[in-house]
Amino acid sequence: MGLTELGINLPLLIAYLVTFVILLAILYQFAFKPLLAAMDQRTARIQEGLSAADRARDEAASSQAAIEEQLNEARREGQRLMDQAREASQRYREGEMERARQEAEAFAERARADIQRERDAALEQLRASFGDLAITAAERVIERSLDRQAHEELIAQVLAEGETWRRG
Amino acid sequence: MPSGAVAKRLLLLAAVVMAALLIAGFVVGAIGSKMFGGADPFLAQPEIHLPPQPVFPFSAAAKSLGIKPETEHPSPAAAEAEADHPPAGEAAEHAEDEHHFTPLGATEFAVTNTLLSAWLASIAIILFFVLGARKRAMVPGRFQGVVESVMEAVMNFATGVLGAEMARKVFPVVATIFFFVLFNAWIALFLVPLYQAVGLGSGAWWNTQIQIHLVRPAGTDLNMPLALALISFVFVEYWGIRTLGLGYFKKFFAFGKLFRLKPSGLIDAFVGILELISELVRVVSFTFRLFGNMTAGEILVVMITFLVPFVANVFVFGLELLVGLIQAVIFAGLTLVFLSLAVHHEEH
Repeated sequence: MGLTELGINLPLLIAYLVTFVILLAILYQFAFKPLLAAMDQRTARIQEGLSAADRARDEAASSQAAIEEQLNEARREGQRLMDQAREASQRYREGEMERARQEAEAFAERARADIQRERDAALEQLRASFGDLAITAAERVIERSLDRQAHEELIAQVLAEGETWRRG
Repeated sequence: MPSGAVAKRLLLLAAVVMAALLIAGFVVGAIGSKMFGGADPFLAQPEIHLPPQPVFPFSAAAKSLGIKPETEHPSPAAAEAEADHPPAGEAAEHAEDEHHFTPLGATEFAVTNTLLSAWLASIAIILFFVLGARKRAMVPGRFQGVVESVMEAVMNFATGVLGAEMARKVFPVVATIFFFVLFNAWIALFLVPLYQAVGLGSGAWWNTQIQIHLVRPAGTDLNMPLALALISFVFVEYWGIRTLGLGYFKKFFAFGKLFRLKPSGLIDAFVGILELISELVRVVSFTFRLFGNMTAGEILVVMITFLVPFVANVFVFGLELLVGLIQAVIFAGLTLVFLSLAVHHEEH
């Protein structure tokens, strides 16, 4: 059984080779190249879309975070301002109270000093008046030295005068 | 689409018809006619020819059948006339008994039925892909989607073996091999009437004994698998040399250690020669694997049709669809594996 019995035939072999090569060329040119390019393009497009979506999501998340941050910042700022204001008002109140107390104290002090002075002046006056009284009394005593009873009355009178004076 | 109950009834009817045809086929086929005696089987016993048969020019076909130029007509009418004419019919019968078919000589050229089928398959492939690629839409339609997903399947297969970059480079050749094998195997199954009932033959018009089919699957012609095997072989060697330069041949001619007089050099040299032989034998194994599978499938179809005509072949057709796909995957897959061996052989 020779090879021809199996059907080996050189021209046919060449014909198949040529057929295959032509088929390959046509498929490559008109099918594989354009289709692979289209598929690649689609892959790229989809990838692009996906990454754009990713980016958008990231951006949204980051802007969300930024807004959150800003809100927190504002909240903190507000808190700080309020604290500051409260502290300032506290300080102010304390200062005012201190001042009022000092004023009151100064006023009281002044009043006390006035009273002291008045009293001193009164005492001085009294002392001076007593001198006059004593002199007056002595004059009277000398005028009425004869009468013991009158003497005593005189003293009582002077004292009573002193008493009323002191009261008055 | 018929509604549920009607569909069920139709399905049942189809099943009954199928069963009836199966039984009828069994009875009138070769097995039944022997069992129940007497009558000739429904179909004449098929002839099996391994070599491809010439169809164009007619003179080559006639010559291979040993028919005289006067009776050379491919029409059934001619066959009938031949059958009606007793001496010619007798001669034809006599010739049939002798299996007088003479194949082409090794260097004779004629368009054979297998080559014709290969062209038909090529046109089918081109139509499939070029129509699929015609619009190149960014959002593919149904047909483009089918074509693309088929291509993507082959591309993924290649990527799995070779990695994305290399797969991209070898894809056109590997894919063409894949689809060439696949379409050549399947076209005979999808165009049964053309492949089984058109040809040059003898006998009554309703039962012509076809001696030369107009088309016959190209896989059953040894030249086609051989051509593919050579292409695959050359392609693999090309990539081996292109990637590794002349160092590629070190695998086969490993005499380096032997020249440095190391004893283990003998083993290396021997292994190298084994590699060389196995590399060359791939061509033979590629060729006969595809040829054997396709031929066996064709013979099986013909024989089952002869033994039990009508519907028994449905199962064989299912099997053959699978075999065609498997052979395409194997041919393309082995090419990929050999490519990866040729490109990466430094590592082993």
